[in-house]
Amino acid sequence: MPERSSRAPLGLRIGLPLAVLAVALVIGSGVLSGRPQTQAQRAAAIESVVRCPSCIDVSVAQSEESTAIAVRHEIERQVAQRRSTAQIEQTLVDQYGPTILLEPPGFPFIWIVPIVLGTGAIGVIGVLFWRRSRQFTATRVAQTTADSA
Amino acid sequence: MLNASLGTIGVWLAFAASVVGAVVIAVGLVRQRHAPTTRPRHATEGLAAVSNGRLFAPVMLIGAVLALIAMERALVTHDFSIVYVAENNSKVTPLLYSITGLWSALAGSILLWGFVLTAFAGIFVWRYRKVAADPVIRWATLVLYVVTAFFFGMMTDPANPFVTTHDVLAGLGPNSLLQDNPLVAIHPPLLYVGFVGFTVPFAFAIGMLATGRIGDRWQIECRRWTLVSFTFLSVGIVLGAWWSYQVLGWGGFWGWDPVENAALLPWLCGTAYLHSVLVQERRGLMRVWNLSLSVATFALTILGTFLTRSGVINSVHAFSESSLGPILIGFFFLVVVVGFGLIAWRGDRLRSPGGIDAPLGREGAFLLNNLLFVGFAFVVLLGTLYPILYQAVTQQDVNVAAPFFNTVAVPVGLALLFLMAVAPALSWRKISATVLWQRLAIPVWVGVLTVVLCVAFGLRGFGALVGFGLGAFAAATATRSLVLSVRATRVRHVGWWRGLIGRTNGGMVVHLGVIVMAVGIIAATTYRHQTELALHHGQVVTYDGHRFEFVGLRNVAIPSKTSDEALVDVDGAVFAPAITSFGGSLATVGTPAIDSGAFGDVYLTFDQVGGLGTTSGSPPIPNLPAGSVAIGVVIEPLLAWLWAGGLLVGLGGLLALAPGSRRRATDPVSAPSTMVTGAGPHPEPGQRDAADDGWPALEPAGANVSVPSGVPVESGAPSA
Amino acid sequence: MTTQRRRRHTTRWVAGGVLLCLAIVGVVLATRTPQEATAVDSPLVGHMAPSFGGANIQHSNGTPVSLRALRGHYVFVNFFASWCGPCQQEEPDFITFFYQNAPKDNADFVSVVFHDEIASAEGFLKSQGATWAAVNDPGGTIAQDYGVTSPPTTYLIDPTGKITVEPEIGPATEADLQKMLERARSSVRRGSGGTGA
Repeated sequence: MPERSSRAPLGLRIGLPLAVLAVALVIGSGVLSGRPQTQAQRAAAIESVVRCPSCIDVSVAQSEESTAIAVRHEIERQVAQRRSTAQIEQTLVDQYGPTILLEPPGFPFIWIVPIVLGTGAIGVIGVLFWRRSRQFTATRVAQTTADSA
Repeated sequence: MLNASLGTIGVWLAFAASVVGAVVIAVGLVRQRHAPTTRPRHATEGLAAVSNGRLFAPVMLIGAVLALIAMERALVTHDFSIVYVAENNSKVTPLLYSITGLWSALAGSILLWGFVLTAFAGIFVWRYRKVAADPVIRWATLVLYVVTAFFFGMMTDPANPFVTTHDVLAGLGPNSLLQDNPLVAIHPPLLYVGFVGFTVPFAFAIGMLATGRIGDRWQIECRRWTLVSFTFLSVGIVLGAWWSYQVLGWGGFWGWDPVENAALLPWLCGTAYLHSVLVQERRGLMRVWNLSLSVATFALTILGTFLTRSGVINSVHAFSESSLGPILIGFFFLVVVVGFGLIAWRGDRLRSPGGIDAPLGREGAFLLNNLLFVGFAFVVLLGTLYPILYQAVTQQDVNVAAPFFNTVAVPVGLALLFLMAVAPALSWRKISATVLWQRLAIPVWVGVLTVVLCVAFGLRGFGALVGFGLGAFAAATATRSLVLSVRATRVRHVGWWRGLIGRTNGGMVVHLGVIVMAVGIIAATTYRHQTELALHHGQVVTYDGHRFEFVGLRNVAIPSKTSDEALVDVDGAVFAPAITSFGGSLATVGTPAIDSGAFGDVYLTFDQVGGLGTTSGSPPIPNLPAGSVAIGVVIEPLLAWLWAGGLLVGLGGLLALAPGSRRRATDPVSAPSTMVTGAGPHPEPGQRDAADDGWPALEPAGANVSVPSGVPVESGAPSA
Repeated sequence: MTTQRRRRHTTRWVAGGVLLCLAIVGVVLATRTPQEATAVDSPLVGHMAPSFGGANIQHSNGTPVSLRALRGHYVFVNFFASWCGPCQQEEPDFITFFYQNAPKDNADFVSVVFHDEIASAEGFLKSQGATWAAVNDPGGTIAQDYGVTSPPTTYLIDPTGKITVEPEIGPATEADLQKMLERARSSVRRGSGGTGA
């Protein structure tokens, strides 16, 4: 493909859409119009991790079973009393047992593996590319010296 | 009694045939090893052994068909002398749900599995009949027979579907949730074809590892089998999600339930395999990955069967608990030991010469793709098994559910969308940033402008916006690829539609389907609104841009079920969410009604009827007056895109199976990996579709090329 | 050369590692017993029973029911609903147990309506012939305090007001109720013997 001299440099051509994207995302993510979390939002966040007692796999936020509604009332009541999330969850665990929560309570050991895997994968790719890129430039250098020799 | 006898004969026939067939092939393999192939006498003996081994496959199939017919006949005629029929069928069960009763419970579902397995074995043996003497094929056939023997062996005793009983006059009928929706007739068979199909790539992998013939030729055959299973499994999973959505009543379509995960795990590994085998076809790399993925996919189907049938994990979708648990986990153990043991044993010899040359190239993208899929599968497996493992260590019960899985799925999903957007534009081996930008400039702008438009229209939420942007970017890349492919057909003077079939083009259509599904999922979960409406007769309520009016109540009673329906007019059309009870049972299930549209779904449930006296507990709407109803409403934007996307994925899979643009099966696909050509432009995706590495074809050259008559076949060198 | 030799073993190690992990998982899974709904441990065992009270729906003009007033007796608290099939199934066993064993064992029965219409619940009890006290549970708070997820669930409270045995989740037979009582009695005996009070 012939080089068009009127074209802007590559960096600018790639940078422009990325800049537009960044601006749109900043506006769209709502960080600029940030509002502190309302009580309703806080209750909703807790409700999304509490299981509907008479269901499997469904949270109280999503279910309209009467046991779920009862638990929602309880959560909203305790949020209004400004109790902490840990306290509210503990109350429910005292009533229903630890399976009332949709996540393991206490220290989340379960996150160790995904985080290790994630960093490991990034590490593998990064090391691979770094080594190959060094090999690649080394080959290029060798070729140019061989050509010029 | 006839049905039970017939069925038992069928099961035993298939079991005996598979066991004897396996023994015959094993003996033949041992003989072949000890006799040099130059001696014609031993060669004929070996051949005879192979032929005899092959003949058992049709016998297995006949046995399975016999058992299947026997069970279906028993279900349709309500033959309660068979315990399975008595527990899953009743005199008032409609014909459709009698037929689907075959797979509605444990023992019958194993029968279906066995039947599909014998069908696959039969097709396999028939397809490779001309190369049946090849050691890889013999080992693979052996593996297929052993797996069949296992499943039919289970049916001879622990999971016997034909156990008889006396004096049962009335059947219990199927589970309420399994007679609520006709999708019960489609989802399980498709899913099973998907699951069982992965046995064949596994058989190939074992064959290749056992014989040491790990070259690319059989791996390429494997790909087509995996593609068939992938297509059926994908459509099966999407239909399962659709069925859950229509029936379970909470407006969701995926709960990260252990049984759902059990279907997802082989799908993830199978998809990873389909991508990384392309690297082996082109460059001969990633052999260990491909063999491991074949083994892993099959092992995960067995693990999935275990999770669904052992009762070890609580699930809405699980079959009842049974004694099959230890047997299935034992088989899983065997599969894993044999598969990974062979890989470990061959370890040193598996690695291919050559490697990934440059950081920016398609091989690197496929490696990253593999890591993402396998890593995600591992995390999903961990999340599913965590409660059991935790309980084994600490004696405490915990739950791992949607919050964990969703948190992991989001970054993985976005990363995969990004790869879908960039990788098709990458060249093999290396590409410069300038060329890459030339190819991706328009798709990138499409993605960016999509985000800008969304923000301009008032949509908020960082994750959702990134998802929409990447989705548009990826869709533009896939469309570009298809457009180039269609344009190339004009150069080659063939029909334009040929630009849409074949491996790469079918793959791009699958990508488009996945993108449509991803956009639907993001919209439906991020912008979902839920409420409870108290409606009295004739009252009109507006919620989230939709108009609701309660028209009246209606009671529908037919022999198989009784429903109390609430008639609700939504934007002009009447829907009837109901509370239903089946047969004579007292237990009720909610039957939702869905107003599906291109831009969103309105999901209705009938939650409460008014005018009840004092109640205990918490009704959805307290003190609801008589004559009013409480209707649960969930608004989910773009939800129907999930099903449309699923359809596209299925379509793309079929397109990818169609033979592509190769003119002869022996056309080379690229220079062997030890030679570095370097010269010449890199072929555009879609123009080059041959998938053979130059080894002898299965059938005479030209036999599997479908060139439309009247179109001149271009002779000479390929145009790319 | 050395790079190749180092690399050669990676496959073996990785495959071996995967095999080992899966083998461990396989062993754990093989040794699990199938989970039933009754396997969930109640967090209330070993604690004081949450108190509750209310009007007796069976005799609306009679004395209100209160758990505190029943201290000194063994109290079976049964959560039920009229729409629940297993509740219908277990009720005859409860009746037999109530009339035969309860008087000599100093056991009382209190039923709590679980998420149901009072009228239907009352009708259910009357049709079954259950004459003991039954309480309404407005807002479902009693069920919540006891962590009841679905009916029928039966708790046993010992004379000191503590719950010492696991609740029965699902239909309870006469034998189940008898067993619960035996276990509660033996734990009371153990408790008082040990401390020498």
